[in-house]
Amino acid sequence: MDKPLRVVIVGGGTSGWMTAAALTGTLKPNICRVRLIESDEIGIVGVGEATLPQMREYNEAIGIIEPEMMARTNGTFKLAIQFRDWGFKGSEYYHPFGKHGQPLGGIGFHHHWLRARQAGRAYDLEDFSYAVVASRRQKFEFPVSDLKAINSTYSYAYHFDASLYAKYLRGFSEQRGAVRTEGRVVDVTLDPLSGDVASVTMDSGEVITGDLFIDCSGFRALLIGKALNSPFESWNKWLPCDRAWAVPCDRSPDFTPYTRSTAREAGWQWRIPLQHRTGNGYVFSSGFIEEDKARETLMANLDGAAQQDPRLLRFEAGRRTASWTRNCVAIGLASGFLEPLESTSIYLVQAAVMALLRFFPRQKIDPVLVAEFNRRVDNEYDRIRDFLILHYHLNTRDDAEIWRYCRNMSVPDSLAEKIEMFRHRGHLPAYKDGLFSPASWLSVLHGQGLVPRGYERLADNLEFDDLVHRMDELHGKIDARVDAMPSHDAFIRDYCPSPEAVPLERAGAVA
Amino acid sequence: MSRPLKSVVVVGRDAAAWIAAYGLRFAFARTGLEVTLVELPSLLSPVDAFAALPTLSGLHRLLNIPEDQLLKASGGLPTMGQRYANWSGGKAPFIHAYDTQPVGVNNVDLVQYWVKARGEGMGVEFDDFSLGAAMAKAGRMAPDVDLAAEFSRPAHGYQLDAGRYVDFIRARALRAGVVHCPSSQVRVTALGDRITSVTLDDGTALQADLFVDASGSDALLLGQLPGGDFESWADLYPCDRLMAASGPALSPLPAFAHIAAFRSGWIGLYPLRERTALVAAFDSKDLSDTDMLQRLTVLTGLKLEGEAVCAPMTPGMRRGWIGNCVGVGEAAVCVEPLDAVPLHLIQTSVSHLITQFPVDADDLAEARLYSASLAAHGRNIRDFQLAHYRLNQRRDEPFWDGARDGPVPEGLAHKFALFRARGETAIYDDETFQASNWTSILLGHGLVPGDYDPRVEMLSPEEQIRQMQGMLGFIAGEVKGLPTLDEHLNARPSSIGSALFG
Repeated sequence: MDKPLRVVIVGGGTSGWMTAAALTGTLKPNICRVRLIESDEIGIVGVGEATLPQMREYNEAIGIIEPEMMARTNGTFKLAIQFRDWGFKGSEYYHPFGKHGQPLGGIGFHHHWLRARQAGRAYDLEDFSYAVVASRRQKFEFPVSDLKAINSTYSYAYHFDASLYAKYLRGFSEQRGAVRTEGRVVDVTLDPLSGDVASVTMDSGEVITGDLFIDCSGFRALLIGKALNSPFESWNKWLPCDRAWAVPCDRSPDFTPYTRSTAREAGWQWRIPLQHRTGNGYVFSSGFIEEDKARETLMANLDGAAQQDPRLLRFEAGRRTASWTRNCVAIGLASGFLEPLESTSIYLVQAAVMALLRFFPRQKIDPVLVAEFNRRVDNEYDRIRDFLILHYHLNTRDDAEIWRYCRNMSVPDSLAEKIEMFRHRGHLPAYKDGLFSPASWLSVLHGQGLVPRGYERLADNLEFDDLVHRMDELHGKIDARVDAMPSHDAFIRDYCPSPEAVPLERAGAVA
Repeated sequence: MSRPLKSVVVVGRDAAAWIAAYGLRFAFARTGLEVTLVELPSLLSPVDAFAALPTLSGLHRLLNIPEDQLLKASGGLPTMGQRYANWSGGKAPFIHAYDTQPVGVNNVDLVQYWVKARGEGMGVEFDDFSLGAAMAKAGRMAPDVDLAAEFSRPAHGYQLDAGRYVDFIRARALRAGVVHCPSSQVRVTALGDRITSVTLDDGTALQADLFVDASGSDALLLGQLPGGDFESWADLYPCDRLMAASGPALSPLPAFAHIAAFRSGWIGLYPLRERTALVAAFDSKDLSDTDMLQRLTVLTGLKLEGEAVCAPMTPGMRRGWIGNCVGVGEAAVCVEPLDAVPLHLIQTSVSHLITQFPVDADDLAEARLYSASLAAHGRNIRDFQLAHYRLNQRRDEPFWDGARDGPVPEGLAHKFALFRARGETAIYDDETFQASNWTSILLGHGLVPGDYDPRVEMLSPEEQIRQMQGMLGFIAGEVKGLPTLDEHLNARPSSIGSALFG
């Protein structure tokens, strides 16, 4: 048997500790030894993070106990993202974790909905999404597993403090043998023959060697970028936002089981409710607004008192053309960046970590494993990219330059075709791997204001009266079942209260 | 405003033509679609048969065709998979069963544990862990209920007498109101990429909102339109000729098809209820038709009944939808009869056409979706078939040495390399065959991974042995309780297909 692979993770934070926890949680010590380098001096990006339901798979795979994790990270539940003012000013829609309606006669529900609409019965599509209706009423409980039950038709994710999650995972990893080294990396040495990373040098002077290096150094990309010069492919022309102001504020009574995204004059503002406060940020394009002006906009649009001065983050949308280069795997922001519009940051870390486990190398790294890892990671990035561009491109706003620019820009062919096919016949993209599901595409294509001209002709086979009856029945079933759910706040108090939680009764003294 | 399609003219013959005509008429008659079939003379012979994948039941459900009626009318049999023999030197035959493989243990695929155990000296073959393969070997068939869903879900395909199957669909099509116009040939009139009419023997010119080319590899319609050039795959496939013949029924009835390689190609035995269909694919440079026929008798040991027929094989594809003309089956994608795919391609193209049926006669934007998806399906299926040839281990036979050394398309080369390294399968969009299918044939042909996922070591060696023995014991127990195929056919309860709209 080979001796254990020495894995050196450069950088802590969510991506570093998620990698460490997965490696130590699923591989035996004779396979790999994990050493993680991080510096307390270097701040961690994270003012409240929204996630996707896939995260539960990660947590389950490594053995995390949900209520414990939530209590320690001030976590709350998430059923959807609410988009305000995106397609046009005054608009509001949800991208829920769940489907709209259920197929009838093997035909997707939205085709029937379109047919009813064309026949003059203008139902609200969102009334047929359990997750949307529950979101509107600020309710939460776990979906049931009985697929016949109406409350099995949704999923959920978390809002939490990502730095506390990283801390939680640190404890988890260290218990399982991960060794943490405090300090900053000041130099990276490449092997002169192979060009692989041979070692990193710490500010203390210590030289740390390894077999496999994981670059979790964030935007600085110390290994994959600075040392190995793996090219970065910029997507700035499609996703022009390159800055964000972030600030936490006091908890407000508006305790949403969803993330809110409000479009603004040069980008959008996020709002993420935690148990003890609310995370906020304004993602904007420096080409369309001054930094100071953006800061003012954010501070003027908080629903609680700011708890500190806002922090400015700089970034560029895009990804490395090869996240795994030589003996270095970039995970998290070092591998690429996509704005948090669809809460994909942690998902991308998770996808890379799971792919790393699947293709985990032995002493000699087989290039085909590297190729497959990169193929999968690239696919994830590219799918999300198109979905994000969709939000910006498909708008009819005329009040600000960024919206005109995005509406008129040419988008990737892969996206243009998807939009055209939805417009033509309500067709939804379906593909094997990667985000997002057809249901997600529907919620955003429809939510941004695009109404298809046609629908699947098979839908016409259902008697119209029967269709109306079934739609009314489904609507009624959702409505009644959501009524019986506990409130989001009551559920959390019972299930995973954080010691730091601010009671809802005391929230809302907006200055 | 969109203009709904009112009329479709299908031009073609045999399974592709009748399935397309019936499928469209069944799906859209209520919404007022007229379907006319211009039927060209049949090329089917009484000895022909179809092998079908489990996915055929999807189309049949859509068309409200109950399985027991289908099997009865077509003299067909359900089948658990295909047995490959003599493809890899002295290696024992393996069964490519149609069941899904179990998830494995701790979210790691079973094949990873198998590779590790294999390296430690375990002699049990991978297909021994497949319930479907075990059922095939034991000649057993599952009742209609789902069996052991938590372990693996055995699915069955079919073998059907081709002529009787087409007659069965034809009768339904005519009952459903398909207008039938036999003609020995057609003349196509086109303007740019749009067909304006097709003219029959008697001079009748038929017009339609949409034309369907179901004329087989001749592609009588598509081939005449701009952009309908044929992309030949002849340089990828070692065989260029097919022979079909028939022998007596086997007793007891096997629950699998048998695909045996021989010096110049392969011979397939497809058991039917009242006879056994035989197919040979071979290289005409290596063997004459007469020699092939002789070999067929010798190698199968069966007394042939009726006449054997031969036909050239021209694998390749062309754009599936041009202007107002849609190709189904071999008019768009033509591959070998290996892996039961020819009927699958007809079924896939017709299913796509039904679900992507144009919403506006003046804007057939669906053409792009359809063509792209069918092309991807076709290429992925081609690669699956090529895998059998490229991985063969028959040494010192020119046909097989050539088949092994032939060009490997890029996507397939990556699949081979990844599997060889780690037992993992790269699955692309629009794949008919999923990871469990690929794993089955890659391992079956002897591509044993050099390494496994290190996560399997979380399971102690003792625990791994216990789990694997548990699986084998479970399979043995399940199989013992099942009826033989003959018993199953005799005791079959009538199953009602759940229709699209009852």
